[in-house]
Order: sequence, then C-alpha cells, then structure tokens
Amino acid sequence: MIRFVDATKVYSNGVVGLKNLTLRIEKGEFVFIIGPSGSGKSTFLKLIMHEEVPTEGEVYVNGYSVHDMPHSEIPYLRRSLGVVFQDFRLLPNKTAYENVAFAMQIVEATSREIRRQVPLALGLVGLSKKAKAYPDQLSGGEQQRVVLARALVNNPAVLIADEPTGNLDPKTSIEIMNLLEEINQRGTTVVVATHEKSIVDAMKKRVVTLEHGEIKSDVKKGSYFDEN
Amino acid sequence: MKIRTMKLLVKEGTNNVIKNKLMSFASIMTVVATLFFLGIILLIAINITSNIEAMKRDLEVTVFLNVNVTNYQRAEVLSYIESKKEAGIISEYRIETKEEMYQNIKESLNDDTLLEGFSVENTAESFYIKLVDPNSSDEIISQISRFEGVNNNNGIGYGKDELDKLEGILKIFNYIIMAILIVLMIISVFLISNTIRLTVFARRHQIEIMKYVGALDSFIRWPFIVEGLLIGFMGAVLSFFLTSQAYQWLQGVINVILTNLKLSTLRIMEFSPVAIRMFIIYSIFGMVIGGIGSLLSVRKHLNV
Ligand SMILES: Nc1ncnc2c1ncn2[C@@H]1O[C@H](COP(=O)(O)OP(=O)(O)OP(=O)(O)O)[C@@H](O)[C@H]1O
Ligand SMILES: [Mg+2]
Repeated sequence: MIRFVDATKVYSNGVVGLKNLTLRIEKGEFVFIIGPSGSGKSTFLKLIMHEEVPTEGEVYVNGYSVHDMPHSEIPYLRRSLGVVFQDFRLLPNKTAYENVAFAMQIVEATSREIRRQVPLALGLVGLSKKAKAYPDQLSGGEQQRVVLARALVNNPAVLIADEPTGNLDPKTSIEIMNLLEEINQRGTTVVVATHEKSIVDAMKKRVVTLEHGEIKSDVKKGSYFDEN
Repeated sequence: MKIRTMKLLVKEGTNNVIKNKLMSFASIMTVVATLFFLGIILLIAINITSNIEAMKRDLEVTVFLNVNVTNYQRAEVLSYIESKKEAGIISEYRIETKEEMYQNIKESLNDDTLLEGFSVENTAESFYIKLVDPNSSDEIISQISRFEGVNNNNGIGYGKDELDKLEGILKIFNYIIMAILIVLMIISVFLISNTIRLTVFARRHQIEIMKYVGALDSFIRWPFIVEGLLIGFMGAVLSFFLTSQAYQWLQGVINVILTNLKLSTLRIMEFSPVAIRMFIIYSIFGMVIGGIGSLLSVRKHLNV
C-alpha cells in the first residue's frame, strides 16, 4: 500500500526533511506519525502525495512509483488518496455540498453519481443538515468534517491527514479522530500526522515517531511517549 | 473530454472574465485597439492595391508616329497593333489624328500667337494602346519602337515605372506598419497574460485544491484558456464594429474629397464586400492573441 525504501529528502536550501527512511504501511492500517516540530512529519506526507519527490530512495503508493513518476500520472495517484490539512482549505464561495461536489466534478463524475455520492459522504461525517451552509457559517469542527467528506467522496484507498485537529478544541478533536477511526474501519487506510498526545495515547494505534527526519520508534498499539 | 466537463470549463472561464471585470475590460480594450489598427491598415492596403491595379489598367502606351511617316509605315504599325489585339495582349487602342492633336495643343496653349508657323502638318498622328496585362508593356514598347514609322525621339510613354516605384515605396511602408502591428500584438498578449495571471492568483486556493483532488492538468488549464479566448473574441467583435463604423464614415468623406479634387478615378471601396472576411480575420487574430496570452500565463504561474 505505502512503502518507503531508504527515502531521503533534502530541500533545495540543504535542510534535511527525511533521512534514509524505510517504512511499510499495509492496506487497512491506521497509523499516527508523531514527533517534534521539524522532525519530518509533513515531509513524509508530502512525499506520499507527490507534492515533493525524494532526493534519494524509493516511495511506492497504491501501486505508483512516486519517486519516479511521469507528470501525467500524478492526478491519478492523487485520486487514490484523500487529503486533509490543518487549515481546512474549503472554497469560501461554495456551500458544503458544492465543496464536496467540486471534488467529484474535477474527476469528471456524472451528475447522477454526484447527486448520489455527495449526500452519502456528508451523511458519513454527520453534516447532512448543513449541506447548504457556506464555510463561514460553519464551526471549525464542521468545516473539517466537510473537508473529510470531500477527501472521501471519491472513495480513495488511502486517507492522509496533516494535523487535522491542529485548529480545533480538544472535544472537537476527539470527534474528528473518532470519525477517522470509523472511516478506517470501513476499509480506508488512514495516516495521520499529529501533535495531540492525549488522543494518540487513547487510541492505541500504530505510532511512528520521527526525529530529525529519522524513525525513532515504530510501535503497534503505541502511545505518544512509548519510548520512555 | 466529456461534454459536461467542457460545459463546466467554459462556464468557469466565463465566470473568470465576469469576476475580473476591470482587468478583463482593460485587456479587451487593448485587443480592440490592436485589431482596429490592424483593420484600418488592412483596409488602406486593400484600397491602395485596388486603386493601383485600376490605374495600371488605365495606363496607355502612347506611340507617336513620325511627322513624315509614309502610308506603308503607318499600316505596318497599325497591323502590328491589330495582331496584338487579336492575340489578346492589347485590350483596346485609339488613334489621335493630326487634327485632334493640333486642336489639343491649341487648347492647351490658350494663346494663338504661340502657334504662329505651326500647322496641322507639323503634328504627328499617335496611338493610345491599353494593355490587358500592364506587365507586358516593356515587351510591347521594345517591339513597337523598332518600326520605321515610329518616333523614338519623343519616346514611347507609359506610366508603369512610376507606379512600380510607388508600389516599392508602399512596400517599405508596409514593413514599418507590420513592425508596429507586431509591437501592438505583443502588448496585447502581455496585457492578457497579466489579466489571466491575476485570475490565477485569485484562484490559487481553488487550483491547489484541484491539484490535491487529482484534476488533470488540462482541466485546471482550460478555464484560463477559455478566459483568454473569450477576451480575445469580445475584443474582436467590438473592434470589428468600431472599424466598420469608422471606415464607412471615412469612406464617404474621402470619396467626396476625391470627387471635389477631380480625382474620381480613385475610389474608396465599400465595406460590405470585405465585411465577412474582416470579421473572420478579426476573430482569428483576437483569439490567437487571447490564447497565447493565457497560455503564457498558465505555463508560468500554474505549474501544470
Ligand atoms: N519547502 C521547504 N523548503 C525547505 N525546507 C523545508 C521545506 N519544508 C520543510 N522544510 C524543513 O524540513 C524539516 C522538516 O519539516 P516538516 O515540515 O516535515 O516538519 P514537521 O514534522 O511537519 O514539523 P511541524 O510539526 O512543525 O509541522 C524542517 O527543518 C523544515 O524547516
Ligand atoms: Mg508539519
């Protein structure tokens, strides 16, 4: 599903984002990526979605050789991924429904498919009643649910989230994490980079800890400070 | 590409133009100005060419016979002209008799004292020959000048060289105008690409989301290209309308002036026969300018 083989990312300014990282994430797994600021969590996710390419080593995602990929294939890799960010990145001039539908229009779905799938996705994240609301009429948690619906509407095999709860209060954060867990239980592989110690501890999932771009620990059913 | 996708992309492109009113307006206006200039130049060129062609068709080879020409020599020249007429090289000719020439001279001098000692006998008969193809004049002139009865001292007159010179000058003029036109087009392309750049900037979040969700490059690109094409086309339509109005007004004014100057052989043509061709030229140029402008911007700022 996701495989890093000795992958190194050195940014153009010489800063090392990831160093000789080797890691395997299987289909259906739920993985937390944790570590101090600057340890390479975002870099790891960016390599998965081909926002950055490794300077050395190999990255395989959903059957694509991401490290060595023709430009024309990138859209298809991205369609196999759902992406969620800390800042919600919704289009302010579109309603919740339209924001989710937009993701389907982009991949040229029929309007019948759109009419069927969008309500399902909004239902899954518990936002059916707010379909007509614009982003500025929604709370942070609700906005992040719309983003989740958008990420899921095209049925990606893998969902990657970079600090999805970074802008949310603890209670809402837990709700979002529970939603991610539910999504995972439906068969989607989920990779979450986060700082939320308490949540990671509580959820008992696989935890990969990065430090200075290297894997410090990789623990099944781990917690934030497992290594101690 | 699927029809519904095409509809969506065209709609997005149109929305871009509407949302970006001020810059779109400015871009449309530069296209209008460029095409207006292009059109006027084109129309002037068409008029000059057609007038020169008409003048060439009106040109006459003037052949003077010698004062003491014999009947046989005269018949020789005349039969040569007739044979060339039959061969379809000479379209028509007329003869000016000695009497007619005498009268003409008398009229133009306007003073009988100057004509003292000058009689009909001193004048020569002459032929005025019109050619089917003005370019055959050199050959005809050299053949005709070999006849005994033809007066070579006064020369055989034809205005073609002067017209050729005029055409030469106009050609140089054309190059200068072409250069100005290219500069204008570059300015239009630049302005359109700048307009599209603003749209790209205004839509950067949307573009980013589109990339993350897996939109094809063409899908991201097309709305901006539609925007450029639309700006170009709207500029073309507006400019065509302005050009036709301006031209028709000028045509009337200039034709009146030409008539007053007794230059009525020169005519400014009607607009309607060239209208469709002009509209097509305008649309193509406008859309090429718009298309190139948006392509440049999309390539530079979209990274797709
Ligand atoms: N585009 C970039 N150009 C140069 N250096 C970068 C770039 N992106 C990240 N870095 C550097 O690479 C290192 C890893 O950054 P990364 O964003 O992966 O860390 P992170 O673990 O996500 O941190 P945070 O928890 O603060 O989000 C940092 O030192 C960072 O400064
Ligand atoms: Mg980060």
